[in-house]
Amino acid sequence: MPDTPAPKLSWPAETKYISHSTHRIDAPPKLKGEARYASDIQAEGWLYGMILRSKWPAAKITAVNLEPALKIPGIKAAILVKEGERVVHFYGEEIAAVAGATKSACLDALKAIEVTAEPLGFAVRENDAKKDDSPHVWADAPNVGTPKSTEKGQVDQAFGECDAVVEGFFTTQVAIHHPMETHGNSASWTDDGLTCWASTQGITSVRDGLAGPLKLDHSKVRVITDYMGGGFGAKFGPGPHGLLAARLSREAKAPVRLMLTRFDQALAVGNRPSSFQKIKLGAKSDGTLHAYDLDNYGTSGLGTGGTSAGGGSGIDFPAPYIYRIPNTRVKHTSVATNAGPSSAFRAPGNPTASFGMESIMDELAVKLGMDPVELRIKNDPSEIRQKEYKLGAERFGWKDKYKKPGSSPGVVKTGIGCAGSTWGGGGSNKTQAEVQINPDGSVEVRMGVQDVGTGTRTVLAVIAAEVFGLTPEQITVRVGDTHFPPGPGSGGSTTCASVSPTLFATCTDALAQLQTQAGVTDAKGDNWTAACKKLGVNPLVVQGKFAQGLSSRGTGGVQFAEVEVDTETGLVTVKKIAGVHDCGLIVNKITTESQIYGGMIMGMGYALYEERVMDWQSGVVLNPNFETYKLTGLSDIPEFDLVLLNMPERGVIGIGEPAIIPTASAIANAVANAIGARVNSLPITPAKVLAALGKVPPSTATAS
Amino acid sequence: MKSFQYATALSVDSAQQMVADNGQYIAGGNDLLGLLKEYLVDPKTLVNIKSLPGLDKIEQGKDTWTIGANVTVAQIEDHAGIKECFPGLHWAAWHVGSRQIRNVASVGGNLAQHSRCWYFRHRDVLCLKKDGDTCYARHGENRYHSLFTGNQCISPVVSNLAVAFAALDAVAVVQREGKPVSMKMAEFYADAFTSPTAHNALKPGDLILRVEIPAVRNRSHYIQASDKQEFDWALVSCAAAAKVTDGKLSQARIALGCISPVPHQVDAANEFLEGKTLDDATASQAADLVLKNAKPHGHNEYKIPLAHTLIRRTLLKLNA
Repeated sequence: MPDTPAPKLSWPAETKYISHSTHRIDAPPKLKGEARYASDIQAEGWLYGMILRSKWPAAKITAVNLEPALKIPGIKAAILVKEGERVVHFYGEEIAAVAGATKSACLDALKAIEVTAEPLGFAVRENDAKKDDSPHVWADAPNVGTPKSTEKGQVDQAFGECDAVVEGFFTTQVAIHHPMETHGNSASWTDDGLTCWASTQGITSVRDGLAGPLKLDHSKVRVITDYMGGGFGAKFGPGPHGLLAARLSREAKAPVRLMLTRFDQALAVGNRPSSFQKIKLGAKSDGTLHAYDLDNYGTSGLGTGGTSAGGGSGIDFPAPYIYRIPNTRVKHTSVATNAGPSSAFRAPGNPTASFGMESIMDELAVKLGMDPVELRIKNDPSEIRQKEYKLGAERFGWKDKYKKPGSSPGVVKTGIGCAGSTWGGGGSNKTQAEVQINPDGSVEVRMGVQDVGTGTRTVLAVIAAEVFGLTPEQITVRVGDTHFPPGPGSGGSTTCASVSPTLFATCTDALAQLQTQAGVTDAKGDNWTAACKKLGVNPLVVQGKFAQGLSSRGTGGVQFAEVEVDTETGLVTVKKIAGVHDCGLIVNKITTESQIYGGMIMGMGYALYEERVMDWQSGVVLNPNFETYKLTGLSDIPEFDLVLLNMPERGVIGIGEPAIIPTASAIANAVANAIGARVNSLPITPAKVLAALGKVPPSTATAS
Repeated sequence: MKSFQYATALSVDSAQQMVADNGQYIAGGNDLLGLLKEYLVDPKTLVNIKSLPGLDKIEQGKDTWTIGANVTVAQIEDHAGIKECFPGLHWAAWHVGSRQIRNVASVGGNLAQHSRCWYFRHRDVLCLKKDGDTCYARHGENRYHSLFTGNQCISPVVSNLAVAFAALDAVAVVQREGKPVSMKMAEFYADAFTSPTAHNALKPGDLILRVEIPAVRNRSHYIQASDKQEFDWALVSCAAAAKVTDGKLSQARIALGCISPVPHQVDAANEFLEGKTLDDATASQAADLVLKNAKPHGHNEYKIPLAHTLIRRTLLKLNA
């Protein structure tokens, strides 16, 4: 019998919950402290796990003696990351690990391990590593990689055809992953297999990443992520800490909890690569972009990826980003340094790309005497973004507020700026779901996806409630377990667009089956309990797959920033950030808004505060803490004005990443507009603002 | 951290006895716990001094205010009388850390806190301040470091309260070898100016009892500039105080933090202001005097214009 095609599904036009706002269904357990995160797991007889890290930015490790550690009371296991002689390539690289009954025993054990090493030469800064006489990060390869170059059109000739040409050099910092919950996990290895409670964005990636190296069947590894305290691209796979926890558990014959400290977090979990962007941009007198040349280099530390990272962690980025230019030349060169590896970081490459491109766009606007918003609308091929610019500029009062750069009167000057973003955000067609309808009317949804704090649980409850005519609170959502049908990794802003169509299709099917079994035409809402009762003893369990046509990809967003700059102290105060973003069909408005506010706040950190500082002399990260690795604080956060374009006809599209992209660029442009001089380097600190204003005396010192 | 013994002292004498040569006093613990966790200090004994009688009061005398060493920074911030009589001290307190930190941070601990230099604080960097042989900051990342110093170490004093106290010409009263000794802020930090390993001039066993502020200066103010709006260290901080009568200044004092191992004070600037009426030009001249001979180190040049601004702004606030 041939398969009859499934009826084509579409999102309901009239909704009670979808596109409205439902507060997080897991807010009460979180607020009451009942939610269990990886670091809350206290399996019977559990031990602390800790990692011994390299004190050298580069060294040949010739011997490691674990014996003194094993003699410390309470220590149950001590293991090496790698056997035999090896080379470490950055300060903080994992060398060994211990498990013990108390934290202090583990700390003492780390001190007791004897490491014999021959220190090697190193370079931790891009411009040092680029020098001909720099020590090599990798013995058999130059620090400066082979450039990735692309060329379109006739660039040199095209610049000659331009009426206005601007040039600039823009730099961005290495930013560190600092989610509230550090990386880590609890692992329990028994004869039945391995259970890992992980703080991860991808339970399946952790399972597979453990099973392979540990030579276990996938069926013997279970990964659980009930609650999770944030991940922005660096929490895929088990990471070195996951593998070490599992090995320690096997060795110690007890569960091991190994959570990284904030110090560790700054060294080895991945980061956003730096950039040094030399850009030349040319346009015709009417503002039509005509030629573009980018020569960029940056560092991914000792390399991209590593075992702790997902994809998208290279130093290259899309250029000329969102703009249509017929003649472009792009060159990206990766520079290896003796520093921790890079990893994907919320919209990898995009905020970096945006900062250079949107900065030079504003320089061009000034040179042409054009309004920056008009210049963007003219050259941005996205009709959605064009619409967003018009709508946003109107709400923001752009035309009234925009003044010639530096023309704001007084010591404290105001300025405005804008920037745009793009992202994919489509769903994964490998997603599956399971819905169980019990005879008492209760409903369970099971999906092997993880809620990384974005509100995935609530989104699932909203969809099930909508289909069944129930309230979201009536739906029990179970996620974060590899025993459930597989879900997507929470990266690339694909989660919502993967799980929403899948669950909608599964619930729609389940409702139909319930109605058939119960012999009713409408089991929804008020009829629900009576219909479920007719199931008899056994619950109805329905599995389903991703359904096409309920999601799509491709979002745009624009943001506007208004700042005050004290031209005598250099302090930038962000007064307002306005955003217009689209994400197709909005599933849950309040958590969508929360994602975008989070992106703006993180973008502010990239703009003004965050920066990993490396010391060229010792090779260490100088700011492995929140004292000097500065994050946006409550009192830094300005007024937000957010407009979400609800476009249900496009289906669900992810929104997590695009929100961070334009924030730093918009702020940087606003600062330049305020003071009439450009700070071409992130983060924009008071020191750099004063320097841009020409107020800082030239250096006569020997520091480098 | 290493293991230690813990004891609570009920009298100044017993506190000093228990702390002996290799103990440390603990009050709020904000600074000490960080030092312990990074293995930067390893005291044999921690002597809890929070129960010492009489050290937790703010008292207004006729000529002198007394602030006990165990008074919290939050107490200063909240004190109506201080807000009115010493607004400079109020604002210095207001800027310390976060409210949670201010709730437990003590006056004594704020004054005695160690360097925040990121080389000094790093567990794996052996710098001059830790008896190493080089000041890494001099040739490295010194954006947060000093413009003035009398030795090779360029880590600055970061106590907000010290800066305000210096401008108010306050003294710290320290119990030393059985006797109270009064030290002006310049004396309290003097050793840090001359010796790379010193954070202040306290000797082992010295216990801060109180701070005494002469009530002679009726105007004061404090301003700091930071990278962030709140809960951030100062890049530069500035306090000024003076007796202002009919718009004329007398006994003016300017003190700056984060640009020298001691609260930076220049007698010539203070003397220059005697009898002056403040306007922008006068304030600017005073600032020039305060910053004369500033020596930046490659990444902290910006502190010169920043400090200049803060001095001018703080002084002009004395008119209000």
